[in-house]
Amino acid sequence: MFFENIDFSSLELPPAALKLRDEVRAFLRQEIAAGSFVPHLGHAEFDIEFTKKVAARGWIGLTWPKQYGGQERSYLERFVMTEEMLAVAAPCAAHWFGDRQTGPSLLRYGSTFLKDKYLPAITRGEMAFALGMSEPGSGSDLASVRTRAEKVDGGWKVTGQKVWTSWAHKADAFFVLCRTAPLTEDRHAGLSQLVIEIKKSSGVTVRPIRFMNGNHHFNEVFLDNVFVPDSHVVGEVGQGWKQITSELALERSGPERFMTTFPLLVELVRRLGRSNDVRAHEMVGRLTARLWTLRRMSLAIALALDPSSGKQGSVDLATEAALVKDMGTFYEREIIDAARVLVVVEPTMDAADTFERYLAECIVSAPVSTIRGGTTQVLRTLIARRLLGPLK
Amino acid sequence: MNTATDIRTMLCDAATRLFTHHVNPKMLDAAKHDGWSAALWKELKKAELPLVGVPEDFGGAGGSLSDAAAILRIAARHAAPVPLAETALAGWLLAGAGLQVPHETLTVGPVLDEKLTAVSDGTTWRVSGRLTRVPFARIAKQLVLLADSTQGVRVVAVDSNACRITPARNLASEPRDEVVLENVVALASAPAGAGVTRDSMHARGALLRAVQIGGALEHALHLACEYAKQRTQFGRKIAQFQAIQQELARCGGEVAAAVAAALSAAGVVERLSNDHSAGAEQQKLMAVATAKIRAADAAREAVAITHQVHGAIGVTDEYALHHVTLRALAWREEFGNEVYWSMKLGRAMLGSGAVDYWATLSAA
Repeated sequence: MFFENIDFSSLELPPAALKLRDEVRAFLRQEIAAGSFVPHLGHAEFDIEFTKKVAARGWIGLTWPKQYGGQERSYLERFVMTEEMLAVAAPCAAHWFGDRQTGPSLLRYGSTFLKDKYLPAITRGEMAFALGMSEPGSGSDLASVRTRAEKVDGGWKVTGQKVWTSWAHKADAFFVLCRTAPLTEDRHAGLSQLVIEIKKSSGVTVRPIRFMNGNHHFNEVFLDNVFVPDSHVVGEVGQGWKQITSELALERSGPERFMTTFPLLVELVRRLGRSNDVRAHEMVGRLTARLWTLRRMSLAIALALDPSSGKQGSVDLATEAALVKDMGTFYEREIIDAARVLVVVEPTMDAADTFERYLAECIVSAPVSTIRGGTTQVLRTLIARRLLGPLK
Repeated sequence: MNTATDIRTMLCDAATRLFTHHVNPKMLDAAKHDGWSAALWKELKKAELPLVGVPEDFGGAGGSLSDAAAILRIAARHAAPVPLAETALAGWLLAGAGLQVPHETLTVGPVLDEKLTAVSDGTTWRVSGRLTRVPFARIAKQLVLLADSTQGVRVVAVDSNACRITPARNLASEPRDEVVLENVVALASAPAGAGVTRDSMHARGALLRAVQIGGALEHALHLACEYAKQRTQFGRKIAQFQAIQQELARCGGEVAAAVAAALSAAGVVERLSNDHSAGAEQQKLMAVATAKIRAADAAREAVAITHQVHGAIGVTDEYALHHVTLRALAWREEFGNEVYWSMKLGRAMLGSGAVDYWATLSAA
């Protein structure tokens, strides 16, 4: 039904991943001790200095070929890296999208020119990428994007508007999903992905969209006749839909789908200490169990998608990834609910106490996780399709 | 191509064929009165399935705990009315104590916090005590028990005919009997093996019940999906309604999580079976507790959803759904329910503190 041919009983981290984990933990302990970043929950922070330190250790593009600055390590090693960063809410936004999304897309579909130009820059922490997917009229229904590219001599002229573009005001470039051919009956045809350099191109305007607590990470990006050379088309013209949907299994199943409120759980455990409250015992036990389970499912997907597993391509885990994301994003809220029940405070964003601040940050950002990267309802529709097969 | 995984796949295929061929509605109905199916057990015995997971040195068929779990999951999908989990537990107790495992229906006790004493006169061990909720006691040929003695905890096997057994049952009408032992002579007896305690037996029981719940819920979900594709209301198949789809999807997540947790836990318990360090014991506790918590939570959600999708037909005696849903609901209470295990796990995690919380959680 789900996870066919996945052997959960033999699932464990290989020695290389354990070794890397020790290194990442030592690095993060050192960074935290030095006070190099203040963790915030809800949205990963953009901190190019931190990204450069991670890059210097070779930890960006960990699984990529060496010729592009990667380490050719396994997906499980990347998994370990990611979860360690999430466990302490390290500020990874400056390399996050490049590492998880644009890099792998370029590796799979990009030309030699694009790979040479961008991948080493991402692994060195010199270029930050953003994602230009959503538009005012296109949220869950991404195939309805209206940003259009018109063919001109040597390239494309792009016009349109993107929204909810995280960190576009700091990123160097972004992937833009746009229509390169008029809409036909096949809505998924005629879409393409282009790389647009935000700072260097003329005609790009970035405006902040403030989050409801006043923070700025979202933007709207206006594209007004932006010239994009032919060399900056990712893969084949017209194949954009296939490209963005082919990477969904990894995008939706990672620990970032269930660990963004995890540091609050750790602070909760600290607050509770050796509490005699039986509710505390029960809730912490249950939260632990649910996280342990999500982690096993997420690990299983990472392992199966790893080229070395021999299973890559033979299993389609997009539905399982949807399951992990659906349950994971609700799990994040369960931590908030338990924290509120067990420790009675009035949370504020500027509390001096870490637990109270984390609680406030989590409460305010809670609505986002079940919307971004596939809404609950879209995911469940996808899951139901697997369960029910084609319906007349 | 003869890896452990390939062997398990072959084993699972064989088990699926066997249960599909032999389990039928008439058998399940009869089992409500008879407590089990002797005919099905005969087939299982012929295929040596009850002995999987028991080392060959002790009369077993070899294979791992995960192999046994894989078979148990399939048996539960079919609501197989046989003491397979109980025989596996008994086999583990016996083999751990260095005793041969008889090729018979077996069960274990005590499953609750009840006292059992074994006394020796120098040649014979005799067992006394009163146990309740012993699974399949009236069916099992032998009861394999953990009893206290002046020389510590012993594994003792007794003939069930030598005990006074009063039938009782669980929600699904599986035997959960009262057993009174008055100086019952042990057929075999030995000190409990390394790491075998009342607690570890309880934990292993919880793990196997979690695996069974996973299997039962898988089948409940399958039935609900098939039903939704046939049933027409308002001129459409109900599977076409998004309200139904969203509920089935949620159910799918619960079931997948229950299975993932239970099978993962079996692997952890197996890998750390000879490691009794504090760290390893905490990992095993976390794995087993998680399996039972997640399975019981999933049972609550998945049973409600699969019944809801079925409408009134699902609650009838004649329709197959209740064979698996009632079992899942009964099993969630046995060997500790989700509250019991959550409290136990929560206390342990709070005990090791915030600094080590993540390292502990991510260790296995």
